[in-house]
Amino acid sequence: MSTTQRILPKGVSEADFDAALARFREILGADSVLTESDQLAAYSKIMMAGDDADYIPSAALLPTTTEHVQEIVRTCNQYKVPIWTISTGKNLGYGSAAPGETGQVMLDMHRMNQILDVDPEVCTALLEPGVTYQQLYDYIKENDLKLWLDPPAPSAIAGPVGNTLDRGVGYTPYGEHFMFQCGMEVVLANGEVIRTGMGGIENSSSWQVFKWGYGPYIDGLFTQSNFGIVTKMGLWLMPEPPAYRPFIIQYQDPEDIEEIVDVLRPLRIAQIIPNAVVIVHTLWDAGTHVVRKDYYDGKESIPREAIERIKADEGIGEWNVYAALYGTPEQIEVNWNIIEQAFGASGKAKIMYGEEAEQRGGGFEYRSALMKGDMNLQEFGLYNWRGGGGSMWFAPVSQAKGSETKDQTELAQQILGKYGFDYVAEYIVGWRDMHHVIDLLYNRQDPEETKRAHDCFAELIDEFAKRGYGLYRTNTEFMEQVAGTFGEPLREVHKTLKNALDPNGILSPGKSGIRS
Amino acid sequence: MNLTRRQLMKNSLLLGAAMPLSLGAAWAADSGFADAPVHGPIRLYGADRSTTELGLGLRQQGWAPSYEGRLDPLALNAQPAGTLAAGFTDEAGLVLLTSLLAGRGRVLALGRHEAGHHQLLSHRGPLAAPLAAEAGSWQAALGREYARLALAAGSARQTRDVRRPASEATDATELSFLVRL
Repeated sequence: MSTTQRILPKGVSEADFDAALARFREILGADSVLTESDQLAAYSKIMMAGDDADYIPSAALLPTTTEHVQEIVRTCNQYKVPIWTISTGKNLGYGSAAPGETGQVMLDMHRMNQILDVDPEVCTALLEPGVTYQQLYDYIKENDLKLWLDPPAPSAIAGPVGNTLDRGVGYTPYGEHFMFQCGMEVVLANGEVIRTGMGGIENSSSWQVFKWGYGPYIDGLFTQSNFGIVTKMGLWLMPEPPAYRPFIIQYQDPEDIEEIVDVLRPLRIAQIIPNAVVIVHTLWDAGTHVVRKDYYDGKESIPREAIERIKADEGIGEWNVYAALYGTPEQIEVNWNIIEQAFGASGKAKIMYGEEAEQRGGGFEYRSALMKGDMNLQEFGLYNWRGGGGSMWFAPVSQAKGSETKDQTELAQQILGKYGFDYVAEYIVGWRDMHHVIDLLYNRQDPEETKRAHDCFAELIDEFAKRGYGLYRTNTEFMEQVAGTFGEPLREVHKTLKNALDPNGILSPGKSGIRS
Repeated sequence: MNLTRRQLMKNSLLLGAAMPLSLGAAWAADSGFADAPVHGPIRLYGADRSTTELGLGLRQQGWAPSYEGRLDPLALNAQPAGTLAAGFTDEAGLVLLTSLLAGRGRVLALGRHEAGHHQLLSHRGPLAAPLAAEAGSWQAALGREYARLALAAGSARQTRDVRRPASEATDATELSFLVRL
């Protein structure tokens, strides 16, 4: 089968597109405007259960300066060419580096990768969108700065700006990334540049330390949105603590999730445990390094008997709680005693740290690295669990209450079971909320299985919404459906803002279900 | 034998069981295609017999594969622009490799070799060879095909499904790639 027809942006004539490409080449240089099939192939690789033909870009642009981005959007307005922006393009469970729809031009910001400032006194950084966590990590190490990062699981290759703008999370006390963002530079659709917070004041020294600025606070408008293109972003970095104690708590019964969450909640809210704790199910904990077919090769959900064998072989629990303490050794000792008492009360928990934790199976080593902001790519192993290259992260939010967690777990397992998929999941615990992250892994090479995965994901969205559970983030295939669950009045506000800021609808049309 | 001492040492250091690869490479060099023109180096990734056979096919068509062991996409990404690489990897490696190539390189061809069929994708024109094993293994045939595609001009995306003969019965899935940074 051959794909020879030229891909064009929707509603744009071939002549206009050629004229736009010629202008892009003038702005960026010919080497930074990609149009050949083998150059665009990596932008077409999706893992979600959509049709490949729906996610093919017409070109990719590689700017290196804010001025480039300004000129690009002016050209896009002139020719009505839609662009889809990516930072480092590693949003793997949520749409990868592919466009929102076929024909859009990729605006790939990875060459805008300057670390503009790192201030070790106030512990802040100012970055361009192409900076990766690995790059920032190396900078900090090379300059012997006592600062920690907070990367998500695909840490080394992802970037702080893109992850924060998609409201991603990490695993240290700075785990809620948008909470630790401070100040942005944004190119608007008309080509103008604004700086948020204190950035509007010329020579402001407080752009990266005071979030709110003056008047309405608008940084949130540029997250999970298509209202502007962020070209610089400030963030807060964690000072390296004098001591660090990662630990694991294992529980063996499926029903124990209720107790875990209810014991954990007051400890998190009171900051006895300060980091974004994860409660990891057996199949996620093992799935980073174990292959499914070694235990079960059927088309249905992996049976309980196989899960029990994995637990026994790997020395892991049904639920594996990864958390850490930070501070002076004395502070850690005080908090450790409180934690031991709280989790030890029922007699169900096995609490470990140090050598004992290191000797167990599962993911203690890489989790310990992530909870101190070190680089790690272990979770890519999940893609080997079932094989076939299909992965979609279903991520509803819940309150940190055991009854709600139990309800979500049972509902997810029931729907996944109906479609023959496995519950490969973890909960990431915020202060009062939890991100329930389920990796729906499936074989994308099998059309029937892909359709099943699509139907399963759609049903998960609907059934969770019926019980009052919404998603915090989703992949491009399901953005429209998820936006629908939040109600028409909110969508109308989004659309009004879009029409005001981007009347030609050139910026990432369809992102979060928003179009002009 | 065309492998340098440095290459042999590197293989031995990178791979605990380097000997099969080295022997395979040596056999490839002595397999009757010595007159083939040399197109240049190609980095070859993977750590099993399939990789050795793929290297054989590439060598038969005049490429000089250097055996790099198991694919580390981050290390590959650090290679200079223009570097050509081929090999076998797993699902995780393929996800990482393709995501790193966005804006940085070209995907020339990908292969998914499953029970019953080969699924081949090329961005360098039609896939010609049926991966028949008359002249050796299907992996060597794939190497010869990748050798040709590495020299072909850019073209539209092509996909092809090739049925595997019953004699190749396997339940393992192998993923091959040919990329240029």
